[in-house]
Amino acid sequence: MTALTGLSTLSALTAQSGAVSIDALRLLPALAPALGALLVLLVDALAPRRTLPHLVVGALALLMGAAGAMPGALSPAREPVLTLCLPGGPDGACLWSAGPLDSTLQIGLLAASLAALLLLSDQWRDLPGDRAVDVALILASAAGGAAVVAARELGTWLVALELATLPVIALVVLRGTRRAAHGGLTLMMTSLLSFAVLVVGTGLWVMATGDASLSGTAIRTAWAQPDQRAVLVVAILTLFVGLGFKLSLVPFHAWTPPTFVSGPLPISALLATASKLAAVGALLALIAPFAGLADPHPHALAFVVGALAIGSMLVGTVVAFRATDLVRLLAWSTIAQAGWVVLPLAALTTVGHRASVAYALTYAAAGLVAFAVATAVRTAGGEPGSERGLAAYRGLARSHPHVGGPLILALLTLAGLPPAILGLVAKVVAIRPLLAAGLWPLAVLAVIAVVLGIAVYVRWIAVLLAAPEHRTTAASGNNAGTGVEVQVGPGALAVLSLGTALLVVASVVPQVLYGLLS
Amino acid sequence: MSALLLIVVSAVIGVVVLLTRRWAVVVRALAPAGSGFLALLAGGAMLRTQAPETISWLPSIDLGGLFLPLDLGTSRPLAAISFVVALVSAAVQIYSTWYLRDDERYPVFAATVALFTAAMFLVVHSRDLALTLVGWEVMGWCSYLLIGHWSRKESARRAAHKAFLVTRLADVGFVLGVVGLATSVGSTGYAVVLRLWAEPTVCDAYGCVGPNPVLRNTFLVLIIVGVLGKSAQVPFQDWLPDAMEGPTPASALIHAATMVAAGTVVLAGLYPALAQAEVARWVLGIATSVTMVLAALLAMGQSDLKRLLAWSTVSQVAIMLSALAAAPVILEQQPGEPPAVGVPPGPALAIVPGAALFHLWSHALFKSLLFLAIGLLGVIAGGTTAALLRGAGMRTRLGRSAFLIGLLSLAGVPLVVGGFSKESVIDTAYQGASQGGPGLLVLLALLVTVVLTASYSTRAYLVIAELIDVTAPVEAVGEMSESRRQRRSESLDPDGRGAANAVLVTLAVLTLIGGLALALDLFDLHGLSWVWTLITVLLIGVGAGLAFALGRAGDPGVRFAGRRVALFDGGFGADTAYRALAKPVVHLARIVAFVDTEVIDGYVRGAAVTARLGGAVTERAHRAERLRTGGWLVVLGLVAVLAVGVFAWR
Repeated sequence: MTALTGLSTLSALTAQSGAVSIDALRLLPALAPALGALLVLLVDALAPRRTLPHLVVGALALLMGAAGAMPGALSPAREPVLTLCLPGGPDGACLWSAGPLDSTLQIGLLAASLAALLLLSDQWRDLPGDRAVDVALILASAAGGAAVVAARELGTWLVALELATLPVIALVVLRGTRRAAHGGLTLMMTSLLSFAVLVVGTGLWVMATGDASLSGTAIRTAWAQPDQRAVLVVAILTLFVGLGFKLSLVPFHAWTPPTFVSGPLPISALLATASKLAAVGALLALIAPFAGLADPHPHALAFVVGALAIGSMLVGTVVAFRATDLVRLLAWSTIAQAGWVVLPLAALTTVGHRASVAYALTYAAAGLVAFAVATAVRTAGGEPGSERGLAAYRGLARSHPHVGGPLILALLTLAGLPPAILGLVAKVVAIRPLLAAGLWPLAVLAVIAVVLGIAVYVRWIAVLLAAPEHRTTAASGNNAGTGVEVQVGPGALAVLSLGTALLVVASVVPQVLYGLLS
Repeated sequence: MSALLLIVVSAVIGVVVLLTRRWAVVVRALAPAGSGFLALLAGGAMLRTQAPETISWLPSIDLGGLFLPLDLGTSRPLAAISFVVALVSAAVQIYSTWYLRDDERYPVFAATVALFTAAMFLVVHSRDLALTLVGWEVMGWCSYLLIGHWSRKESARRAAHKAFLVTRLADVGFVLGVVGLATSVGSTGYAVVLRLWAEPTVCDAYGCVGPNPVLRNTFLVLIIVGVLGKSAQVPFQDWLPDAMEGPTPASALIHAATMVAAGTVVLAGLYPALAQAEVARWVLGIATSVTMVLAALLAMGQSDLKRLLAWSTVSQVAIMLSALAAAPVILEQQPGEPPAVGVPPGPALAIVPGAALFHLWSHALFKSLLFLAIGLLGVIAGGTTAALLRGAGMRTRLGRSAFLIGLLSLAGVPLVVGGFSKESVIDTAYQGASQGGPGLLVLLALLVTVVLTASYSTRAYLVIAELIDVTAPVEAVGEMSESRRQRRSESLDPDGRGAANAVLVTLAVLTLIGGLALALDLFDLHGLSWVWTLITVLLIGVGAGLAFALGRAGDPGVRFAGRRVALFDGGFGADTAYRALAKPVVHLARIVAFVDTEVIDGYVRGAAVTARLGGAVTERAHRAERLRTGGWLVVLGLVAVLAVGVFAWR
């Protein structure tokens, strides 16, 4: 149903403006998952209670979307992919404009959705629920994410953003457990609040610019008028707060840990990666036109962005340091990493935008690997949740190096420590625009956060590398003593191997990733 | 391309041997065959190489401020050195199949030897300081493994540690020197480095043109410190005799062709810069002069013949290096310009690092021969002390003849390879002496060393051939040989050593005819001075006569050292001096550690406590995870953010 909403939005736009040019191929990143969602429901109607066809259709739709975004990401001319253009609009305004950064983000979030889908498919055997609905919801969310990144009109932007979020609530709740209901409720309340804030922000924006398009011209015109400028500042700040929920920036982060812990892990992975990438794209669409503004410089925006970024980094890191549960660690680390993603945007330069996207993609890759490991580790007996505890991971790198090794690599990437050069480069790239813009205090605070972050991740790495606790007593069985068993399903195996390969390759030649973005 | 092939194939042999170490048969076939192939390859390359050439094999690395071309290169002298390295390595590999037949860690030994050889090839052919450094470090590491091969022995472990620590200490200088040379020109390529640093500094009334002489001297002295460490020169000399704790083939490799000779190759590569650095040449000249005489003296008084050979290596390497210190300075003549003042005309112009490399070549041949021969004699006698070896040569004619040929060459008797090369060094030093610099000092030291070398060589032969009075009392049996003797006599029989015999014969023949290198013009040397040859022969006669005179009533070495044998065996107390030097350093380290843990760590711990506290407080605030808490946070955040916006607007 949500997929239908997305489609109807597109068709409604067409109906409104009559002569809008539509290039379906260019819309593929959003169109392919949306159509895929429909197709899955159709397949389910024809062949109910099958799993493989659903998985194949879902994966193909996501891959097709990613392939559709490839030309935009790799185009040598660095020109945006434009479609849905209004014939007589100001500067040929197009409602869909995916520049190289946006296209890269689309590829990233579609790939992350695919990874979440693969992880989820491993759990279908154990968990109740309707597979077709699972796949359709993930695809709908991916379609929304791909659309919001490229949307250049506030209406579409708002609807696409909600389309990216709402299916995830359903995915959290569908498990039907009490904990899941709690997490889903938290997430829904948050979404409602943020939607309200976003709607207010949208209203203020239209009031300030007199235009629902996110074009640079309208903003520059509004910025020149002191009265309109004041409204515009409040509008962008309100919208930023609304997105702060989605990005889980402090102080709008409170929903993150309970939701991550209560929902199924693949959905937490989806929330932590694909949803974040979509939110980053949404934020970029808003904030990009502010890059060239001077006289007066939008100090208030830079200040708020920087303050929330630093707050998230510090709070997230400090609490992550206390976490004794891998998923809780990842939740708090998501909050800290969201700060890192937003931090370079405070510079309000195009270099800052690139750095932000690069960091977001790096974080998503490492996060997916970590989540994939979390789905593979089980404990026999013990309290619920003990499989995510520090004790279960003791010595994992020794007893199961094929799982512990990638986790160490992922944590090193998040910490920014060699040999995960990728993470280090991402952090350097994120700090550099701040220095160029003269924002020294932010850079200093960021460095402090790096130091604290190392303690957070190295603590876990030390546990992973430690000698397994009960090795001597459990002479009979290799893992009987610890009660930990590692089951890497086919989906998790794919995510683990591809993600690890990506991290390793990108650590050896980080310039390739950054070459794509420059 | 053969240079690249040598390095890569040798390293690959090492890795493959290590991977197949469970199948001893494979290792026993692969290691000798592979190293033999490399020797043939290097021999072909030596005969084929004409003009110097550069090989680019890796993509160069540009680090912004520093450019690493990562080139290799070869030339006639380098190809010749490469051949002798390959030859000695092959000899050692083949010999070890017999010598370490019953050693359960033989495959690891063979792999280490192959890796060691690869590192030496890299140093020889490197045209990039970074690659030189890589080879240099790998050699240091491999020598540690080889010396400590019998790691169950406390003395072997200590010797390995000592070698590692002493050379590591000296390597500090080497690394700093390399960094200095490279960063000053922004490239690690020899060509670029030499283009700047080989430029003569010319001063006149208006100031100086050319590179800063102080910096040049500083960097080269630092490199020389590293070379002195690796080549066991004063003041780092004492690790090498202790390294005799390793298996004899390892000693042959370390002494003859690789580790200790590497410094000569590196300095020869940097010679154009060294020639312009007066202070550095003096440092090198003084150190090598002292070393060659001191080591020759110590060699004379050793109670263990293997240690005698070790000290002779120290002395002979000093001779090689002294040729670099004392060589005459050649100013390149542009066509049409008059020859520079103070340079003797004639073919001597081209003498430069050739003599040093030629002596390296000849030393590699005869020293590997000597070590492998004494390995055989030691097995027969059950140990390598003079007392045990007495008369051992009478039981194996091959061993005795091989040892004799090696000793003749070591003493520098004309017409064997050692004679030719020592003549070249003396000739070089004489040419250099006429120019000032350390030439005269080196020349004097060389002449004294010739006498001493002849005398300890004679002594060694007298001992093994039992030409001395057998009724003389047995003095100073080395106690450290006890365990070794037992193991040897139990596990090794002198029979079934066909391969070892073949190796000895080959090396002996090459030692006899190795002087052909002059005829092949491998080292750019032109003839020898007959006057100096005559003087040398006289000096050798004096030395040999001295040994015979002392030897009439027992081991001449024992007579020479008298009651001070223990002092000689201990290298004149160098080990004690090292310990004394280490003591204040250890104390200083304790103080630094105290400041670090008690003062500096205080701040770190403070930061940790703060972070932990912050974490606890924030975590408590989130513990309930209630919607209401989140809601309040949101409201406060929204109000704060909007307040910023509103106030900014006003």
